[in-house]
Amino acid sequence: MKKTQPPGAPKTLWSLRRGEHCAIAGYDDLLAEAYKVRLMEFGFYPGERVSCLQSPGFGAPKVYRVNNTIYSLDDEIADHILVESTGP
Amino acid sequence: MTKVLLIGSPNSGKSMLFNRLTGLSQKVANFPGITVDVASGKLQGMDDVYLVDFPGTYSLKAISAEEKVAVAQFEKALADADVEHVLCLIDATRLEKSLFFTLQVIRECELHDKPVTVLANMIDVLEANNLSIDLPALEAAIHTRVLPISARSGKGLAEISEHIRATRTADRPRQRPHLTGTPDEILRGTAHQLAQRLGPRGDVLVRTQNRLDAFFLHSLTGGFAFFGIMYLLFQSIFTWSTPAMDAIEASLAWIADGIVPLIGSQVLQDFTADALFSGIGAFLVFVPQIFVLTFVIGLLEDSGYMARATLICHKPLRYFGLTGKSFVPMLSGVACAIPGIYAARAVDSPRKRLLTYMAIPLMPCSARLPVYALLIAAFIPGDTLLGGLVGWQGLAMFGIYFFGMLTALIITGVVSRARKDQFDDLPFVLELPPYRLPGVKPLLRNAFNRAKHFVVKAGKIIFTVTLVIWVLGYFPNFGTDLGQSWLGHLGRLIEPLFAPLGLDWRYGVAILTSFLAREVFVGTLGTIFGIEGAEENMVPLVEQIQNSDLTVASGLALLVFFAIALQCVSTMAILSKEARSGTLALKMFGAYFVLAYVAAFLVYQVATLF
Repeated sequence: MKKTQPPGAPKTLWSLRRGEHCAIAGYDDLLAEAYKVRLMEFGFYPGERVSCLQSPGFGAPKVYRVNNTIYSLDDEIADHILVESTGP
Repeated sequence: MTKVLLIGSPNSGKSMLFNRLTGLSQKVANFPGITVDVASGKLQGMDDVYLVDFPGTYSLKAISAEEKVAVAQFEKALADADVEHVLCLIDATRLEKSLFFTLQVIRECELHDKPVTVLANMIDVLEANNLSIDLPALEAAIHTRVLPISARSGKGLAEISEHIRATRTADRPRQRPHLTGTPDEILRGTAHQLAQRLGPRGDVLVRTQNRLDAFFLHSLTGGFAFFGIMYLLFQSIFTWSTPAMDAIEASLAWIADGIVPLIGSQVLQDFTADALFSGIGAFLVFVPQIFVLTFVIGLLEDSGYMARATLICHKPLRYFGLTGKSFVPMLSGVACAIPGIYAARAVDSPRKRLLTYMAIPLMPCSARLPVYALLIAAFIPGDTLLGGLVGWQGLAMFGIYFFGMLTALIITGVVSRARKDQFDDLPFVLELPPYRLPGVKPLLRNAFNRAKHFVVKAGKIIFTVTLVIWVLGYFPNFGTDLGQSWLGHLGRLIEPLFAPLGLDWRYGVAILTSFLAREVFVGTLGTIFGIEGAEENMVPLVEQIQNSDLTVASGLALLVFFAIALQCVSTMAILSKEARSGTLALKMFGAYFVLAYVAAFLVYQVATLF
């Protein structure tokens, strides 16, 4: 499910660096419906604020905070979650 | 029989609570089609009430076939007249995560008129950080009783039994449904609002967790911590288990020495010493490793570190179709495949768990070591290079270990790519639980239950196969000559199979007996060559092999054969039990035998050219 991000394409959750925040804008069409539902159950639903807490090296899954829960997502999933900036 | 169901999302402390509430009176069962056990036990203080621990799940809307089975079983259990009550466990420190699932459970219970009690766990963590949740408001909002508890400290646990007892004796009016028919989307919104309004304020817990994550997930410090902790885990399997394993073997030998002389018949004496006690020892000897590994893995899981270790090694393993959660089972497999297969329970994706099962038997386990040591000593020169720093034999040992691991990764990578859409899978979204001090008692209890499970489930199979191989090797000449036994005849019968590898019937027999355990290969060859105690002192056997007509090419072929073949009845027994599939172990045995044979044949052919 890994995709290449073309220039000008919507920003994805995977592009967030450590310490950055965003709001979930939605999911792209490549993500399976069942996965979208599960992500929403975890709290990743549109409008929700997400912070990137850790971005370990060597392409390891990143660590995100949603509400008071911390999740780790790899690029195969985080690259399909579309986000928008929430400012500083 | 009255039943109470316990349900909750992962990382909410459900296993610890279940252990606390039932003590050691647990029975483990399983649903057909899923690997997760369903434990039940008498609720302490209520002898006529069984607490049933359902598999942890994030939602009643299942996305994998395995989750579907678990959810269907939960719904079936709700329709069971014996089920009187449902306990839904939530993590009070992270209401958002738990409340949506709780509302789903309440909705289902309303349909079946089953009373629900919500247990708000980790209340001690909130208190220690001067945080709280508004329990009365939460009870009013969800029309359900909420009891504050701490599974770790035991706080509030007595009230659970009291509450269930009171609910049983009270003339309970039919519950008025509040959520029946409410779609998931509405429940999700309600859960979100309630968590925002009534949940703990502030993010002190998240900040503490993040400070520790900055250390444990840092490229440098996290790497050192990871290798240090994994080294300790690996050492624990070898070092901490060895005294207990030795003690079991010594005790069995001592008992056998005491009993055998009292038996009149020679056949019965041999049977008791070599079949009965060897058969019991064959599975009892694994118990310390299983106990220690389960305890250490439990420590890592309950402390919160296991999720971090999973994250660290996820990326490289993903390339081979595995997940970060496969790492610990595979590492355990380097000591012994059996605790490794148990450890694979932590792999929640059915697809990746199956691939992990495929990788574990190829890890260079400790039972392969005596076989490698014998063959390398016999066929690889003891010369050294670079002033004695590098030896050919050491390089060969490293090479064959590396070969096993590489083969495992290649196989999982190939199978994963070949059967991309045919497995059931789950996305890699890993909840990172807070760091906690684990409770030792529940972990000991869990380790005890796992060891008991192994003895009950796998012990029978291992014991039976040991008996069969003893009978084949003992009769018809009553153990006087292994070469003339039924096993010896069988070895000659299959000699044409191993002839293309340059092996005669003696090695065929040793390969057959090594199905009990790979290291038996050495002892069997010792018996055939007439050398006592070959397992302890290999030198005379090495000389015999060198003086026999076995070539270097055949020795290398044997090394490769043992690196791949699934020559272990104990691994197959526990694999079939854990995978809930009688055929998986047989298919893997067949596939790895063919692969081992073909690889050994190629090595033999290439080596004979030189």
